[in-house]
Amino acid sequence: MGTATGIIRALNSGIKHIAIKRFTLRYPEEKLKFVGDGYQFDPSTGVGIAGLKGRHMLFHDHCTGCQLCSIACEGVAEAIAMVKVPEEQKQNKKSIMPQIDYGKCVFCGLCVDACPFYALYMTNDYELSSFTKEGLIYTPAQLAVKPYLTQDSEIQITDRGATHG
Amino acid sequence: MKMTDIMPPGLALKKVDERIMTLNVGPQHPGSGHMRIVVQIDGDYIVACDPDPGYVHRGEEKMAEYRNYITNVPHLERPVIHDSCNVLYPYVLGAEEILGIEVPERAKYVRVICSELNRCIYTMYWLAIYGIFLGHSTMFMWPAGDRELLIDLMEKVSGARVTHAHFIPGGVRNDLPANFEDVCLRQVNYFEKRIKEYAAVFYDNPILISRTQDTGVLSRENAIRYGTTGSVLRASGVDYDLRVKAPYDVYDELDVHTNVMKEGDSYARSKVPWLDMMESCNIIRQALQKMPKSGSVRTKLKPNPKTKGPATVYKRVESGRGSLGCYIVSDGKTEPYRVKMSVPSFRNLLAMPNLLIGEKLGNMPSVYWSLNYWPVEADR
Repeated sequence: MGTATGIIRALNSGIKHIAIKRFTLRYPEEKLKFVGDGYQFDPSTGVGIAGLKGRHMLFHDHCTGCQLCSIACEGVAEAIAMVKVPEEQKQNKKSIMPQIDYGKCVFCGLCVDACPFYALYMTNDYELSSFTKEGLIYTPAQLAVKPYLTQDSEIQITDRGATHG
Repeated sequence: MKMTDIMPPGLALKKVDERIMTLNVGPQHPGSGHMRIVVQIDGDYIVACDPDPGYVHRGEEKMAEYRNYITNVPHLERPVIHDSCNVLYPYVLGAEEILGIEVPERAKYVRVICSELNRCIYTMYWLAIYGIFLGHSTMFMWPAGDRELLIDLMEKVSGARVTHAHFIPGGVRNDLPANFEDVCLRQVNYFEKRIKEYAAVFYDNPILISRTQDTGVLSRENAIRYGTTGSVLRASGVDYDLRVKAPYDVYDELDVHTNVMKEGDSYARSKVPWLDMMESCNIIRQALQKMPKSGSVRTKLKPNPKTKGPATVYKRVESGRGSLGCYIVSDGKTEPYRVKMSVPSFRNLLAMPNLLIGEKLGNMPSVYWSLNYWPVEADR
């Protein structure tokens, strides 16, 4: 194959892409849809349930304050601290619950694996940016809130190429 | 100590002339990655080269001595976050052997699928950087975009885009999501169709061929002598792939074909990973077909597993860059006594000083990046 033919073929291959659909995800307007409601773990079988490893969700009625999540995080990120919860929110005997610093968290989900009481799960919420470092520290009360999500974009493959529809 | 001091005798480099100029490329230069390459040039030609890795050393091996076998998982994948399943694979295999854990059959297949997907993700990233090094910005945009297809699959499986932390001693963290086989097959097939289009725009492009052919030729003998692995070794004509030569997990049940090229120049080294990606697509399709449709994927462990007395183990896998080994020594405690990673990046780097001698300075990026070198992995 000659040099000229090679260059023409290379250019032609690029020009074909004018007719192919755009693959880019237009992020703030479109958001990717994930499987499930976030990474969860079933202590009875010892196997997790697939989902995005995003912000945690703490179920106050299940948490016993056993600190296993905090111990699991010790060697990884040291992001979980056990804090006193106010008397009116008190759910367990020790009245301590995990508080997570998302400035340190690496979203590995080992804390979820460690929880034997179905109290700590992860959600599909990944937009956690804050103007201050203190804003990244989520208290037990903040962790109990279910995130409001609008994620509906999925990769679709057609004859004219892949696109985020 | 300079790297050139430990070269085999007869290959040691020495100063040629007084008019030689020394250039520091890196460590914060876009053309070097996180490492410094000290090159001495005579006019436009390189006469000596001294790679200086170590800029991003973070003591992963020492960190592993203070954490137990489970909490080692998230930080041991950090050296190569875009190949995180493969970089963790030998550690997980070794930990399973010394802890005496049986792995369910389905978990082994899930691991193979994740490992092959990750190999493609790594290679696409590598190819994107190789394209932009050579000034071919289309070849930066296309792989970076098509990589998203596979990242999306890994996100569905593990819940994270790059740092998966998915492999764990005893299997994998979670089962595949519902309907994954169909989605995986559809996206992998489209991915394979897309990478075949790279031939016209990149690999058959006369401009690329003229820039990379016959530059940095690594002969078959020298490739073996320097101890290079992976695509660099296969581009020099040595048929060596651990997936075939020393199969781990279920690779012995799959039909794996290795791609070998005889030229040993930059062009061959850049083409072999691309051919390997098509082979990876084949392996994924085979594994999806042969995988048991149901069953457990993780053996339940005690909270702090430990070995019965002292034990040592060495396991190696074929990563995106070559054979990656992990040597674990245990003294019976919950933490390993020593974890040593034998990384392919550093082995491939040893070949670089001799490849660059006599090349033009402008060819340095194409030779350097074709060695499939990832600085962070070499430093650990």
